[in-house]
Amino acid sequence: MGSLGFTPSLIVVGISLVIGLVMVVVFRYTSDQKAIRVAKDHLKAHLLALRLFQDQIPVVLRSYGRILLATGRYLRLAFMPLLFVIVPLTFLIVQLDRYLGLTPLEAGHPFLVSARVADATTLNEASLQLPDGLVTTAPAVHVPAENEIVWRVVASREGDYEVNVQASAQTFSKRVVVGSGLPRLSPVRLRGRFWERLFYSAEAALPKNSLIEAISVQYPARDIAFAGFEWNWIWLFFVLSLAAGFLFKSILGIEI
Amino acid sequence: MLPSCRSARSEWKGDQRLIILGIDGMDPQLLRQFMREGKMPNFAKLAAQGDFRELTTSIPPQSPVAWSNLITGMNAGGHGIFDFIHRDPKTLGLYFSASRVEGPKHAIHLGRWMIPLGGGSAEQLRKGEAFWQILDQHGIPNTIFRIPSNFPPVPAKGETLSGMGTPDLRGTYGTFSFYTDDPTAAPGAVEGGQIIPVQVENSRVVASLIGPDNTFKNGSPPATEPFSVSVDPLEPAAKVAVQGQEFVLGEGEWSNWVRVEFQLIPFFGNVKGMCRFYLKQAHPRFQLYVSPINMDPANPALPISTPSSYSRLLTDEAGEFHTQGIAEATKALSDGMLDDKEYLEQARTVLAEHRRIFDAEFPKFKQGIFFFYFSSLDLNSHMFWRLMDPKHPEYDAALAAQNGSAIESFYEQMDQVLGEVLPKLDSRTTLLVLSDHGFAPYNRSFNLNTWLLNNGYIKLKRDANPDSNEPLANVDWSQTRAYGLGLNGLYINLRGRESNGIVEPGAKADSLMAEIRGKLLAVRDAKANLPVITRVDLASEAYQGPYARSGPDMLVGYNRGYRAGWKTILGGFPPEELEDNTNPWSGDHCMDYTLVPGVLLSNRKIFAETPALTDIAPTILAEFGIAKGKGMIGQSVFRSSRATR
Repeated sequence: MGSLGFTPSLIVVGISLVIGLVMVVVFRYTSDQKAIRVAKDHLKAHLLALRLFQDQIPVVLRSYGRILLATGRYLRLAFMPLLFVIVPLTFLIVQLDRYLGLTPLEAGHPFLVSARVADATTLNEASLQLPDGLVTTAPAVHVPAENEIVWRVVASREGDYEVNVQASAQTFSKRVVVGSGLPRLSPVRLRGRFWERLFYSAEAALPKNSLIEAISVQYPARDIAFAGFEWNWIWLFFVLSLAAGFLFKSILGIEI
Repeated sequence: MLPSCRSARSEWKGDQRLIILGIDGMDPQLLRQFMREGKMPNFAKLAAQGDFRELTTSIPPQSPVAWSNLITGMNAGGHGIFDFIHRDPKTLGLYFSASRVEGPKHAIHLGRWMIPLGGGSAEQLRKGEAFWQILDQHGIPNTIFRIPSNFPPVPAKGETLSGMGTPDLRGTYGTFSFYTDDPTAAPGAVEGGQIIPVQVENSRVVASLIGPDNTFKNGSPPATEPFSVSVDPLEPAAKVAVQGQEFVLGEGEWSNWVRVEFQLIPFFGNVKGMCRFYLKQAHPRFQLYVSPINMDPANPALPISTPSSYSRLLTDEAGEFHTQGIAEATKALSDGMLDDKEYLEQARTVLAEHRRIFDAEFPKFKQGIFFFYFSSLDLNSHMFWRLMDPKHPEYDAALAAQNGSAIESFYEQMDQVLGEVLPKLDSRTTLLVLSDHGFAPYNRSFNLNTWLLNNGYIKLKRDANPDSNEPLANVDWSQTRAYGLGLNGLYINLRGRESNGIVEPGAKADSLMAEIRGKLLAVRDAKANLPVITRVDLASEAYQGPYARSGPDMLVGYNRGYRAGWKTILGGFPPEELEDNTNPWSGDHCMDYTLVPGVLLSNRKIFAETPALTDIAPTILAEFGIAKGKGMIGQSVFRSSRATR
């Protein structure tokens, strides 16, 4: 169950409906509705010409050309409103993914914490410090080829933990969530790499001079059961918001 | 109570309940011993308050045969399962007796690809109607969990999951892979799997999982999927990465189930399976065991349940589980890939999976029949008899001190399961606890084909290598009168049946069989001064039904302590007629069927003096007021059925 007792599938359905509605409304006010209608009418007219004059090759060829032109015109008209929504929508998806993309870790189930170090010499110096409630259950695995060290950890109880990775005199923390529901999760804490951080991390960047490049926690991906299938939430959101958009377009008489 | 389920295909209105615990290989002698010692209090209680009899097993006493007897109420002449393996009399090719899995018969070849015309098929070879199919016709709810000899599951309205006989994803009874950089390990096929050489470079191993044959490619090479293992340079641990999944294993640790997808056609056709990894050793030599790739019960490549969604439901309720029919890694122990401790941990996991499913399913049982099968006693009695029997050639006091009580501990777990069932019994519930056969030591191997060769019944071609691994390789069929195949089967090279048969059917064949029977019964083991064979049954006397003549002509019943040798089963000719069994597979039951009866316990009085497996299907039907099915040769073990009392 998610926040306020909503299941993840209910949350995705709700968000999809709202976003579908908002999208068509934004489209309505940011697009040239009259020009879109004209472009679509032209398209229909040329498609009709194809059927009516299919025995007249010059007309057919001309119609194909005009269909291409009308399609280009329609896409241009539809693209402008997309520019208005693409940035906030992307931002929204990234934020929602923090809650819906992964599931928290389960108590009693092992998971991996890994640290990627800046250079191989640091590899043997890195160590993991765990708070009460978390323990390692296997020796650390050093992977020289990837400058990586991996620990297998298990939580004895649910909680919001901070693990620390120490390398030389530096110590860096990483949040680890063990529990249920829909907490905000960050699978990785990164040094630099702005865009990767923007899309994948929900934690402050590691300092620029850090010997550690990344600290990751292996959260399981969340599957959402809907209509007899298991979905990644983004695909479900995409399908449902599209369906909602078409529904609201018809209800509100918006030309898309 | 009036009978309430007489009209066929009607809505069943009865409230009877029948619970059957099918415990493969539970031996009456061991059960009595453990009851006497106070280790099986629930069994002792059931035996005292209800009844406990020995249950006559099948001829031969092999699990696929025995469970088919139980399922159909017929013997092998009726259901056509005579052994684990059968032979085609025309080609003498061997095949699994219970099922056949085939790829598409026709295909178009395009370069290195092949486009199949039509699908493959999985066919169950057991004949006869299963008791739950008859119950279905009367609308009686049923759940049948992992009963052997039911792959692919016969069409049924109830919930069934296939058991012994279900192949792994490669279509075998279970093929493991063992990856090692040990130069002394001979790469290639071993009895139950493959040893695959790998190299550890920069602390990393890159290898491939071996999947099913890719019938979309010419020559049907096996589909493979890469995986990598990063071994810590110093510590005994490694990280395994396969298809985006990563996990760490310490030395001596098993992974959980890992789902893998084998791509047959890029982006288009794939097959899903799952396996478990075991890091046997990280240093100084890398040794990684990968279990046979099981079908994924959440998404099986072949039908394993009815309805098809049932296996997924079980996964949702109780987690992943082995779908391969023989789930215990017996071959890995026999081949030395796993030691006793490692094998035992795996075998305990199998039972834990079954108990998890039992705990999820049994509380849901309200009416009709609930059948639940446990394999653990059988397979672990096979593997650990040597550690509880000082007379066994492989007995090792040190190992016995560690794991000598393994069999006992599995019996105790069965008692715990029974302890969950007993409180649920009431006046409308019948309980049957039964096994398909008992158990005995397997100390010495008798190589039947070598004996036939030495006694002039088999002739080999000149310059033939008698130790060839090919089944019946180099046999001169123009001078061979009889041959052995399977664990108990002896065939006459019969004119008109075998493609190169030379023995005339009728009096000549009968006379030959009488001669061989007499000689076999006279064989003695000089080392132990015991008869090796105590019984030889003729198929014509032992079997009834339409398939009575489709199997072996004679069934060799070995004395307690003896069994057919490993090579002779597949038509081999080891040099010695008798030899010590040095395989960890040290207990067995493929002997004289009168020496290895199973058990039958019930909360009701059993009136049959000598109940047999073929009585169980009629008993089940009678419990619901249904007359026994066509061809069934047994009768209810209770004097009167509950429904008709």
